Amino acid sequence: MKADITWLDQPEVFRVNQLPAHSDHEFYSGREEFLHGKNSLAQPLDGEWRFCYSVNATERPANFFEEDYPEEGFGYIKVPCHIELAGYDKIHYINTMYPWEGHMFRRPAHALNKADGAEGSFSRADYNPVGSYIKHFDLEEGLKGKRVVILFEGVEQAMYVWLNGSFVGYAEDSFTPSEFDLTPFIKEKDNVLAVEVHKRSTAAYLEDQDFFRFFGIYRDVTLYALPKLHVEDIWVKTALKEDNVSGTFALDVKLSGDKPAGTVVIRLADSENKICLEKKLPIINSNIRMDPEELKGITLWSHKNPYLYELTISIEDENGKEVEFVPYKVGFRRIEIRNKLMLLNGSRLIINGVNRHEWSAEGGRCIGRREMEWDIQVMKNNNINAVRTCHYPNQLSWYNMCDENGIYMMAEANLESHGSWQKLGTAEPSWNVPGSLPAWEPAVVDRAKTNFEVFKNHTSILFWSLGNESYAGDGIESMNRFYKEIDDSRLVHYEGVVHNRAYEETVSDVESRMYAPPAQIKEYLENDPKKPFILCEYMHDMGNSLGGMKSYIDLLEEYPMYQGGFIWDYIDQALFVRDEVSGEMVLRYGGDFDDRPSDYEFSGNGIVFADRTEKPAMQEVKYYYGLYE
Amino acid sequence: MDYMNKEKYMDETLLIVYGDSVLGLHGEGFSYLFSYVKGGLESLVIDGKEWLYRTPKPAFWRAVTDNDRGNGFPLRSGMWMGADSFISYIGGEVMVDGSEIPLPIAPENNKYTGNERAKKVYLKFFYETITVPSTKVEVAYEVCADGKINVHVRYHGNDKLPELPVFGIRFVMPTKAVGYRYEGLSGETYPDRMAGGISGIYDIDGLPVTKYLVPQDCNVHMKTKWLEVYRDTTLNNADQNNKTFGLKFSAMEEGKEFAFSCIPYTPLELENASHHEELPPARRTVVSILGAVRGVGGIDSWGADVEPDYRINAGKDINYSFRISKASINN
Repeated sequence: MKADITWLDQPEVFRVNQLPAHSDHEFYSGREEFLHGKNSLAQPLDGEWRFCYSVNATERPANFFEEDYPEEGFGYIKVPCHIELAGYDKIHYINTMYPWEGHMFRRPAHALNKADGAEGSFSRADYNPVGSYIKHFDLEEGLKGKRVVILFEGVEQAMYVWLNGSFVGYAEDSFTPSEFDLTPFIKEKDNVLAVEVHKRSTAAYLEDQDFFRFFGIYRDVTLYALPKLHVEDIWVKTALKEDNVSGTFALDVKLSGDKPAGTVVIRLADSENKICLEKKLPIINSNIRMDPEELKGITLWSHKNPYLYELTISIEDENGKEVEFVPYKVGFRRIEIRNKLMLLNGSRLIINGVNRHEWSAEGGRCIGRREMEWDIQVMKNNNINAVRTCHYPNQLSWYNMCDENGIYMMAEANLESHGSWQKLGTAEPSWNVPGSLPAWEPAVVDRAKTNFEVFKNHTSILFWSLGNESYAGDGIESMNRFYKEIDDSRLVHYEGVVHNRAYEETVSDVESRMYAPPAQIKEYLENDPKKPFILCEYMHDMGNSLGGMKSYIDLLEEYPMYQGGFIWDYIDQALFVRDEVSGEMVLRYGGDFDDRPSDYEFSGNGIVFADRTEKPAMQEVKYYYGLYE
Repeated sequence: MDYMNKEKYMDETLLIVYGDSVLGLHGEGFSYLFSYVKGGLESLVIDGKEWLYRTPKPAFWRAVTDNDRGNGFPLRSGMWMGADSFISYIGGEVMVDGSEIPLPIAPENNKYTGNERAKKVYLKFFYETITVPSTKVEVAYEVCADGKINVHVRYHGNDKLPELPVFGIRFVMPTKAVGYRYEGLSGETYPDRMAGGISGIYDIDGLPVTKYLVPQDCNVHMKTKWLEVYRDTTLNNADQNNKTFGLKFSAMEEGKEFAFSCIPYTPLELENASHHEELPPARRTVVSILGAVRGVGGIDSWGADVEPDYRINAGKDINYSFRISKASINN
C-alpha cells in the first residue's frame, strides 16, 4: 500500500493500517520483570530525531522515507516536543475561530454542498506545515525475533509512518495512542523510521480546542515487542452490589500471536496482597471470557478511600511456562442515576471538579510525570474531587493517578468544533461538523471508541464525555449510542444539546451547562427537570476572578439534583519566553508571537498560574469544596 | 525637626504652626504638614521619616480585571478613571479644640505667634470630582496630641453616576516598602471572594503583585483590623540610617474594619501594562485604604457582571474612618 496525500482532505480517512485501539495495560515478559520495574519488551524512541520543516505538502521532501534518502539537509528536533516550540513554526493561540480565519476561505467537505469534497483543502494549501522526522534505531536485545509494534502516544494532527522504505500506516486523532505493526518491515539493525506529520487535516475541524495550536510528536514514542502469546486487550468488569460490600468480578481477555493454547492465570489481590480470587482458564481461542465471580467483603473505591485491588494476568504456554504478565489496578464502585439523582456507591454524587488542560509553561502540552504529580497534589490539598479531561484524552499515566488518588474523571473524547457553529457570540450552525453529515460521523465515533477502548478499565472514570462545544447532530448522537451500547457501568455526558434540544432525549444522561448563572440553574431545577444537573464548566477563573462561588455552592443544599461542577480551569496556558528587553524569562500569551487573529490572554483562566503556583483564589476553592468533601 | 526644642511638647499638646499656606502640627516624634495649596496632608513625618510622596487623594479606580473588561464595566464606569487621576480641591475647614476658626492662611494667620497649642486639631478638605455630573468628597484629619490621626472620609452619593470600582484614599510613599503586616484575612480577598480567608496576623515580605497574566487590580485584603507598612529607606539625602521603620493604619472600632492594598503601583501603572515585565521598576509604595470595594465576579469573563450585592452604587454615600499612627516597630 502507498501513502496518499489526499487522505488529509478526506474526513472518511482517519486511520489506515492503525492497530485497533485496546486497553492501556502494561505487559511484561514475566512477573519478575514487573517486580524489578524493568521491561525488556519496551524500547523508548524518545530523544533526538532528524527533522525537516516544510511550509506545505507541496514543498515537503516527499521521498524522505526512502532508505537511502540523503539526510544532509535535515536538522534536529527533540521528541517529544511541539514543532513550534522547537522554533520551526509560529506559535499561535486562538479560541473558537479556526486558526486559518481571515487567512484562507475553507468549508468542511460536504457540509454546505454534499457534492463538494473540498479536494486539496489541506493537501494543496499554501500554509499547512509538514514535519518530516527520521529516526535510526537498532533493536534492543529483548525485542529481537519478536513481533514489534510502535506506539505513538500523541502526534498532532495527522501522520504518515514508514519503516525501511515501506509504508506502515496513517493516523489522525492527536490525543489518543496510535499503534502500528512493524513486524513485516523491521530488521535487527539499521532501521529507518520515517514519520511525516501534517499540521492540519480534516481533523482540524474536529480539534478546534481553545488552546495554543501546535503540531508534531509531542508525547512518547515506544517500540514494544509482543510475546508469542500477547494480551491485546482486557476488559475488567467490576460490579458492586447495593450493600456496597459484595459484588462480582468478570474479565474479558483478547489474545494475539501463536496458535491459542496454554492457560490464563487470573488473580485478584487486595492491597495487603491477599488473594481474593484466583482463576485458571484454558486458552482455547483468542477470546477468553471469565464469567462473573461473586465476591464478598469488598472494600469500595471512592474519593475518600481510593481502594484498589491488584489484578494480575499470567499467560502460560502449553508447558506451563509464563510468557506474559499483565498487572492492572482496579476498584469497585457503582455510578448510577436513580430517581433523577446521580449516586456513587448509593450516595448522592457531588462534583467538586476542575477542568484540566495538559499544560506547562516550558513544554506546552508536552508534560511529564512531575507536572502530573504536582497537579494531583494541588487537587488533594484543595478538596478537588473531580477532573474533566478537557477537551481530549490525556496521557495514559494521568488516568492511573486519578484511580490511585480518588479523583473522579469525566473522560472526554477528542472533539471540539465550536468554530463551525459558534460565530460572533451566537449559534450559527450552517456548516457545523460533525453535525448530521455521514462523511464526518465515522471519525467522531472512532474518537469515542478509542477513548473507550483505551481507558475502559479505569475505576476513576464515572463519565464518558462526547467532547466539547460541537453543537448536536446525528454524529454526536452516534457517539452517545456507542457508549450506551457498550458500557452500562458509566454515565455519558455532553453539554451541546443545550443548543439543539432536538437531541436531548438521545444525548447525555445529565443536563450539563456551562457558565449558567445561578438563577438559570434554579429555573431548570424548578421546572420539572428531566435529568440531574451539572456544570461542565463554571467559575471562569480568568485573571482576578472566582468571585461569587457561594451562589453556586448554596444550590447544593437547596437542590439535590444540582450535583456540582467543574471550575474553568486548572492552569493558565502561557509560555515562558526570554524577554527581548530584560533577558529575563517571562510569561507570554496569544498575540505575543505576531500570531493573528488571536484571543490574547483568554487562555489564562487557571486556578494555578502557568508556573503551577496557586492563584490567590485557591483558598476560596478549598473552602467551598471543603464544605462538601 | 531637630531644631525644635523637645521641652515644647512636655505639656502633651500639639504645637501649631500657622503658615501662610501650610499648617504644621508638631509633637514628640511626629510632625505633620497640611497644605491648602496641595489640598491635604503634604507631609507625615514620624521619628524623622517622611511617609508621603504626594498629598493623599481619593481613590476611584482600580486597574480593570479581566471580568471587568469582559462585562463592559470600564465602558460604563470609565469616567471614574479620569476622576481618580484628576480631582479639584475646593477648600478646607479647620477646628482647634472643637471650635472652628477662620481658615488660617495669609493674611489671616498674621495674628498668631508660633506658640499656639491645642489638644486636638481637625482639618477637613473638600474635593470635587471631574465626573459628569460632579460629586463631592470630604477628607477630614483629626490630629490628637499624641500624634494619632483619625481620618474620616465621606463620599457624597449621586445617583446620576455610574457604579464605582472602588472608593478610598490612596497614599503614595516615597520609597518601596520592605514588607507589611496586617491582621485580617489570609491571602488576596474581595467582597465576593473572602469565605476562604482565614483570620490571623500575616507578614508579607516585599510588595508582591499577584502575577495575573495581564496586570490588573490585585492584592486587596478585606476585613482588616490593622496594617503596618515597613520601610528602611527614605529620599532624604542626609538620612543614612537604614533601620526599619513603620506606619500603622488601624480600624477605629470593632466591626469597622477596612480593606486595603499595598503594592508598588498605581492603578494606571497596572492598567498600562499588558505583561508584568512592562511594569516600571518598583520604587514606591502605594497604599490604598478602602471604604468600598467592588467584587471580582466569576460567572464568566465575557459578559456576566459581578453579583448585585458586590457592586458599588455611586448614588449612595460612603462613610468610613481609620486611624494613622506609628507602628510598634518604632518603639
